[in-house]
Amino acid sequence: MLSRREFFGAPALIGLWPKTDRKITGGFVNDSFPLGHRLRDRAPFRAPAQQLRVPIVIVGGGMAGLNAAWHLDKRGFRDFVLLEMEQQAGGNARWGENEISKFPWAAHYVPVPAKGESLARELFEELGVFHDGKWDERALCFDPQERLFINGHWQEGIEPEDGATLRDRAQYRRFMEKINEFRATGQFTVPMERGAKPSPLDHMSMADWMTQQGLDSAPLRWYTNYACRDDYGALAKDTSAWAGIQYFASREPEEKGPLTWPEGNGWIAARLIEKLKRHLRTGDPVYRVARSGNRIRVLTEQTEYISDAVIWAAPTFLAPYVIEGVPHVDAFQYSPWLTANLTLDRIPAQKNAEPAWDNVIYDSPSLGYVNATHMSLATHVDRTVWTFYWSLAEYAPADARRLLLAKDWNFWKEAILNDLARAHPDIRQCVAHIDIMRIGHAMARPSPGFLFSEQRAQWLKPAGNIFFANSDLSGFSIFEEAQYRGVEAAQGALRVVGSAGRPIY
Amino acid sequence: MTIALFLSVFLIAACGLIYELIAGTLASYLLGDTVFQFSTIIGCYLFAMGIGSYLSRFLHRGLVARFVSIELMVGVVGGFSSSILFLAFAYTEAFRFILYVVVILVGTLVGLEIPLLMRILKERFQFRELVSHVLTFDYLGALGASLLFPILLVPKLGLVRSALVFGIFNVGVALWSTYLFREQIGRTHVLRASCVVVVALLAAGTVFADRISNAADNSLYADEVIFSRTTPYQRIVLTKWKDDLRLFLNSHLQFSSRDEYRYHEALVHPGLAALPSTRHVLVLGGGDGLAVREILKYPSIENITLVDLDPEMTHLFTTHPVMSALNGHSFSNARVHVINADAFRWLDTNTEQYDFIVADFPDPTSYALGKLFTTAFYRLAAKHLASGGMIVVQSTSPLFARQSYWCIVESVKEAGMRVYPYHVYVPSFGEWGYVLGSFAPYEPPRQLPAGLRFLSTANVGELFVFPVDMQPVPAEPNRLNDQVLVRYYEQEWKDVAH
Repeated sequence: MLSRREFFGAPALIGLWPKTDRKITGGFVNDSFPLGHRLRDRAPFRAPAQQLRVPIVIVGGGMAGLNAAWHLDKRGFRDFVLLEMEQQAGGNARWGENEISKFPWAAHYVPVPAKGESLARELFEELGVFHDGKWDERALCFDPQERLFINGHWQEGIEPEDGATLRDRAQYRRFMEKINEFRATGQFTVPMERGAKPSPLDHMSMADWMTQQGLDSAPLRWYTNYACRDDYGALAKDTSAWAGIQYFASREPEEKGPLTWPEGNGWIAARLIEKLKRHLRTGDPVYRVARSGNRIRVLTEQTEYISDAVIWAAPTFLAPYVIEGVPHVDAFQYSPWLTANLTLDRIPAQKNAEPAWDNVIYDSPSLGYVNATHMSLATHVDRTVWTFYWSLAEYAPADARRLLLAKDWNFWKEAILNDLARAHPDIRQCVAHIDIMRIGHAMARPSPGFLFSEQRAQWLKPAGNIFFANSDLSGFSIFEEAQYRGVEAAQGALRVVGSAGRPIY
Repeated sequence: MTIALFLSVFLIAACGLIYELIAGTLASYLLGDTVFQFSTIIGCYLFAMGIGSYLSRFLHRGLVARFVSIELMVGVVGGFSSSILFLAFAYTEAFRFILYVVVILVGTLVGLEIPLLMRILKERFQFRELVSHVLTFDYLGALGASLLFPILLVPKLGLVRSALVFGIFNVGVALWSTYLFREQIGRTHVLRASCVVVVALLAAGTVFADRISNAADNSLYADEVIFSRTTPYQRIVLTKWKDDLRLFLNSHLQFSSRDEYRYHEALVHPGLAALPSTRHVLVLGGGDGLAVREILKYPSIENITLVDLDPEMTHLFTTHPVMSALNGHSFSNARVHVINADAFRWLDTNTEQYDFIVADFPDPTSYALGKLFTTAFYRLAAKHLASGGMIVVQSTSPLFARQSYWCIVESVKEAGMRVYPYHVYVPSFGEWGYVLGSFAPYEPPRQLPAGLRFLSTANVGELFVFPVDMQPVPAEPNRLNDQVLVRYYEQEWKDVAH
């Protein structure tokens, strides 16, 4: 807080002083498209230097791959490698760290797993987050969890309360009643495969379904649209109603959450990486997977792995460019994202509002920002890192990808600061550094008709002894889906190896 | 002569703008919302100038005398405008009303100045020349004022003195006019005398300027502020009235020297005196050193570690003669180690164990402070208790914030400890609550250190008896992910305040 006397001594605040914006440093980080484009364009790769016999090869070190490895390891199977093309494993759960805090690069939370989510609970028990039927208070998002900047000020929670009319509130209630009915059907589960049944809801958009239900309240529509943008990177009009409902109906946590850490889901990834580091090979992209008799050859520039089973945990859209004889994945759609980590060496002035963990601006095209120091035990924070999310949902994915690549860092920096300035007019005086990460295929997008399509069903089956494990097979990219798919694929691979008998070196 | 005339225009224009800027600045500083304050004040001010210009037509005779009187009035109202506004904010509920009355009054008077002056000068100059000169100097004055205001006046003089100084300029113009136009007015000596009186008044005002601007601060504090500093963590204010020293952190009273012994004896002795022999004590918060003063009354104590966030606070209570005398120079004692750190984080990285822990934090007025009252915090503190050790927690008022108090008790209990809630009456606070947490059963002490002013073996047991109006009410424990305490606390103190 500025003191009254300091105020008198600070002519700048009277507004008659020239405004000086500070210099902000930064750039693009973690660009992965050059490698992706090399695979797409079938650019030449070097032949591997050595050959190794490894019964199970996991391709992709994101959450699906890490959890597949976790499961193999738990079952006592140790003859496998986990190959990650980037220098850092973690995929969408990658994280960073600077002198202020660790921070996430994308996935930043897991809703508190409900009773039925046995896999997630098993992992969290192992990681010490779930103990004797209780969740570790320090991993549950601290109060206040969420806030929304609306009508010129912050309100607690992101469901728009401020300015909501009686009619709006009646619609909120009706919407939640509908959601409760859906929840009671048992078809909206986590992971989705457990309960999902083909439904006409998948053939219409979330926006159309809401219109059909007479739910036209502007703040409610904003809220559901925000949910679709947040979890699927798509507008409600481009999201399957089934998926839109899944977002709300699949969760019934018994504890106020979600689970989160300063580095987001990087916390989970880091622990899995630590546990599995003997198996992990990073920075060595797989450029070819080919069958050879009963065996599968997995090629990187360093090593040719001769394996019995492959777990393809990398995004499914990459499979046709790498795996021999695999069809294209036209039905799969991915939303591109932009995330930015902003280093703030001053906390923006807040009028009567304490910063929350998740901070959303009403009617903004962005998804707002998550505060990395929120999960700090400190009572006083004077510097922080904000992770800013933007799903570019208003564009068609291909157009958004083009835009993402066409514009320079300065353009995105300005866009981010202009967006944040709506809620924080002094943001430019607080930010010192902005790193931006562009992800062309960040999240699977459950477009209407996709979830119960023949195409998706095809990909759920293994291609010979190649098991597909990426969360995009569920139609949306969330931690629990990745974990489920990874473990399922690991079980499939184990069956193959089990029937082949344990190899002898 | 001509230059002198137009210099007067320059000066009155500058004065007029200064009063407008002062009103805008003061309003945005005291009420916030700069854009709103400046817009409405500029709007009202210009509109009032329009009223003044309109009213000028009704003035017919004795224009110079009237001009001089108006200058005097502007000098008085404008010169004292910021004083009036500061005092209005400090002592009345009608700040906004008085603000706009002052703005409209000054605006109207300022609006009269130029039309009158032009009519006075119309005989001496051609109309073309007159309009050009007057308006040029009018605008130049505005420029000068608007540059001077942020660069020099606000930082160097402050708002109260700036207004008074420009009030004197207005009166100076008035006095000067009595010479310039002496043949056009009769009773110059009356006007001149008035000018002298007003200048004397304004000059006297500048002597009291600091006291007046402090009034807005002091309105929060009943007594004279003898020390105030804003650190990166909080605003520390010390007030004094006769022999009563009071410490405020962010406007919340921390202690009054008249009765703090009640608070600190009750904080320390019921727990500490009941332990057989205590060697290591940890004090979390309590940067005033008053709890440490009480703990040092036990000869068995080998070391006391005090962890307080704010280095300026512990520095002040180590070096300031008045404040260090109050805590018996406890921070200079060789057994005391002062650490400036964030208590929760510090405890999380520390592995030491203590026989007695004192958690003396500010009340949970925010989610940030509320973390220090959570089950997670008490679980962590419990891990730092040596076998048979105890923790005591300052727990707000069980009378004014009854549910908050029992919420804190519930939170300590939830961390696995037995709880022994107690309370004491501290006149400057009212009824105040504490809770002892222990893994072993607790009995109030049968012996106390010598020289206590409030506690005795006869009354220490009574602290644990709660009258009906403070007895337990249902409350959830306060958790990091669900800080019910902050919400209880806000609601309960709101109810007390209204």
